[in-house]
Amino acid sequence: MIRMRRVTKVYKGNVYALEDITLDIEKGEFAFLVGPSGSGKTTFIKLLIKEEEPTSGQIYIADANINQLRKWKVPYLRRKIGCVFQDFKLLPHKTVFQNVAYAMEVTGKSHRLIEQQVPEVLKLVGLGHKLDAFPDELSGGEQQRVAIARAFINRPPILLADEPTGNVDPSLGAGIVRLLEKINSTGTTVIVATHDKAIVDNFRKRVIALENGRIIRDQDRGVYGYE
Amino acid sequence: MNKAKYFAAETWASLRKNIILAVAAIAVVAVSLGILGLVVMGWNMFSNMIKNAERKVGEVDIYLSDLTSAEELQTIEAFLVSIPEVDAKSVYYKSKDEALAEFKERFKDQPELWEYIDENPLPNSYELMTKDPKDVGMVVGRIGNEAPYRERIEDIKSASSAIEKLENIFDKFRQIGIVAVISLAIIAILLVSVTIQVAIFARRREVGIMKLVGATNWFIRWPFILEGILEGLVGSFIAILVALSVKVWILDKLMENLHFLRLSLSSGLLLVLIPCILVGGVIIGALGSAYSLGRFLEV
Repeated sequence: MIRMRRVTKVYKGNVYALEDITLDIEKGEFAFLVGPSGSGKTTFIKLLIKEEEPTSGQIYIADANINQLRKWKVPYLRRKIGCVFQDFKLLPHKTVFQNVAYAMEVTGKSHRLIEQQVPEVLKLVGLGHKLDAFPDELSGGEQQRVAIARAFINRPPILLADEPTGNVDPSLGAGIVRLLEKINSTGTTVIVATHDKAIVDNFRKRVIALENGRIIRDQDRGVYGYE
Repeated sequence: MNKAKYFAAETWASLRKNIILAVAAIAVVAVSLGILGLVVMGWNMFSNMIKNAERKVGEVDIYLSDLTSAEELQTIEAFLVSIPEVDAKSVYYKSKDEALAEFKERFKDQPELWEYIDENPLPNSYELMTKDPKDVGMVVGRIGNEAPYRERIEDIKSASSAIEKLENIFDKFRQIGIVAVISLAIIAILLVSVTIQVAIFARRREVGIMKLVGATNWFIRWPFILEGILEGLVGSFIAILVALSVKVWILDKLMENLHFLRLSLSSGLLLVLIPCILVGGVIIGALGSAYSLGRFLEV
């Protein structure tokens, strides 16, 4: 599903964010991307959604080289990749329903389809009873579930989560990852960037560990590993 | 349909959010296009007036020496008729007797002007009209350079020089008008672009999320472009109202009261002017939003 070949990203001032990354993530896989802050996790995600361009190296998504993707085609790439962030990125003046519906509206989906699918997905994330609530009436965990519903509403083959439990009460973090696991079980490839040791150790998934922009460990059913 | 409704709602919401700036932008669009309307109407009125005047000054008088023989007269007349720009039917020989009679008739209230004249001082002359008043200068030159028996021609007169002066003054007026319209239009474009810039800033969160979930660039841009175009259109509507009221309340009155100036607006002028102002508004709005989108909306 995702192939990186010798990918390097250098920011201005000769800052190496990622260096010589080569890896494969198969369709339907669930992987944790771990490492301390500044290790390159966020750059990794930005490269996949083409928010940043690699300085060198090739990135393939579903066998298509995204380096060569025309600018106007980038939105279509992003429709294939759902994204979840630490700060949820919800619109405060829109209800839960409207926030999720927004992702369908802006990709031109019909009103009928929106009315039908948004409640369905919100039920899947456990918020079927809060369609009309506003984000600030929800807990961090609930807001992140809305964000996940929005990322998943267009059924992308890939879902990226950047520190999804960062702003969520620690007791609720596992619930968020269980939800991502549930989405993974529908066949979606899920990548979770995190430095939440407890979660990584509990779920025992593939762990890709980054340090100073390099992969230092890539292990199935791994643990967090840093102290 | 779904999309159109979405765009309309987004545009309207955004416009309402920064209404003060939008009003300022609309006002400048209205002023610039309003001045455009006034300049065009003024220009039209003035050039119609000049055309009316020129119709009378397509006239050329050729004064002849008394020594000119009948044979020479015939040759000169044949030459005048043969000039293609000259209206052949208008070539008219006016004898000095006829000229004097005309003179006496014109100044019959001031007999002292002619009572004591023993000998007729007026020359024989040819009068002619050019087909097109603008050819007067050329015809005068040609007669002066090419006519047979030029030694018999004492003077050639036309009345176009006064009109030329008037035209020069009006050209200045038109140039100033055009400069004013262009500079105001540029200010209008900048003001529209500021409102769009503010709109983009106000909606940066939405824009970020739209990009995230894969909205196409044009889908993101359209509400902003529509907002700019809407501002331009509202401004041009106001400009049209201003231009029409100036026409009805001022120009029509002028034409009525200054009848002798033969002021008139070409029929159909407004049918061209109104769509032009509307298109101008749309262009100003679109350029304004395009400028801000290019600078501030990284899609």
